[in-house]
Amino acid sequence: MTITALGLSATRSGRTILHPTDVDIKPGERVGLVGASGSGKSTLGHELIDTLRAKGQNVAHVPQSPDEALDPLRSMAFHWKEAVQALGLFPNAARQQALFSALRIEGGNLKKRPWEWSRGMQQRFVIAMALIETPDFLVMDEPTSALDPVVAADTMDLLDRTLAGRSTALLLITHDLGLAARRVNRLLIMDAGRVVEDAPTDQFLAAPQTQAAQALCAHRNWLELPC
Amino acid sequence: MLSVNRISVRRAQEMTLQDISLTLAPCNTLAVVGESGAGKSTLISTILGLVPCASGQVTWQDAPVRQCRPALVMQEPRSAFNPRLSLYHSVSEPLNAVGKEMDQHRLDRLCKRLEIPRDLLWRRPTEVSIGQAQRVGILRALIGEPPLVLFDEPLSALDAVTQKHTARLIADLQSSEGFAALIVTHDLGYAAAFADDIAVLRAGRIEEVTPAQNFVERPQSDYGHQLREAAFTLGALEHVG
Repeated sequence: MTITALGLSATRSGRTILHPTDVDIKPGERVGLVGASGSGKSTLGHELIDTLRAKGQNVAHVPQSPDEALDPLRSMAFHWKEAVQALGLFPNAARQQALFSALRIEGGNLKKRPWEWSRGMQQRFVIAMALIETPDFLVMDEPTSALDPVVAADTMDLLDRTLAGRSTALLLITHDLGLAARRVNRLLIMDAGRVVEDAPTDQFLAAPQTQAAQALCAHRNWLELPC
Repeated sequence: MLSVNRISVRRAQEMTLQDISLTLAPCNTLAVVGESGAGKSTLISTILGLVPCASGQVTWQDAPVRQCRPALVMQEPRSAFNPRLSLYHSVSEPLNAVGKEMDQHRLDRLCKRLEIPRDLLWRRPTEVSIGQAQRVGILRALIGEPPLVLFDEPLSALDAVTQKHTARLIADLQSSEGFAALIVTHDLGYAAAFADDIAVLRAGRIEEVTPAQNFVERPQSDYGHQLREAAFTLGALEHVG
């Protein structure tokens, strides 16, 4: 199913933080939404999710902080059960086990509450919830920010394997162009509440047009920083 | 020279650091990398004297390290400051603690180097951006001219462009101010680009200490290899190796 939303916008305290924006993503497409802190990436992600869900589309969301997804008063087992039921599925212990071991959280005690797990484990639990079945659209907001590099790399590889051959469209929201460029085939660049560039990854990296995009490109790699 | 000599630290019946030895020469940079829970933050607390050693000692130029008043730059820039005080008050604190007056010329010079408008210092920590707050955190660390500065994940709260800009500011100040920097970080790209040596800490033990350039080409330990591969996968070391 194509992901289409027109005229998404947002204001806070009278200030426009997201100018009217159209989004169009094809089934199976991998799109990166990249920009500096405060450029409006997460706001666009939230507006898009709300609009699509209102239209009845199956959207999975991995928020930037696991706190947004997990109730501190409920056990991890409760969260899992609720997520499975919300999708109208029967519990599938084998699928659960496969996801947990791929994300290296099989040792986590499901009777515990979120705050009794480490941040990294909470984040991977939320990613596992998003991958219980194949959503039309998966939005991941800085999915690796709470993870060790080794675990983060494993998680991104798992995501690639899980999505391979599926029709799920992916929106990867990140400040890190180096991370996004390796994972997506199309990039949307945000600056001051607007999408200022929209191009295939290769084309974008070869010739970024705007100042914001050129800064992102020049600072994408630690060992090749501009003078 | 900072000399961490065979320290072990016990916390709640568990050994969180075991037999750690490290050295760091004046003006040099040592990056400590490792997974969450490896003991990186405990190492910083121990060097600062906030956590007692079960055995071993930490010295700077052969005297107990506390005498050199090492400074700390924290991970979360905004919560590193008292929210009820202006940034100027917080920046003055390390000087007040030793009964010194603020040297306005030094403050002006550091503000200029760190790209901090002087007016900004009269704001509270919640009234500035995270990137600005972290630059003020660096200002506070350097104001008392410490010979040793500890950085606990100094860039992890910043976005990718601001991270690299801030890393360059730290490195430029290090060459003019001449402090030794011990940087705890998850980010092997940062360590490889800016440190002289990289130490890998895992489960409370040092797995290897390797010159940064050699580390990128050939880490010595298994976990060092895993970190290097992860840095490639995550795009932090794209064009090297």
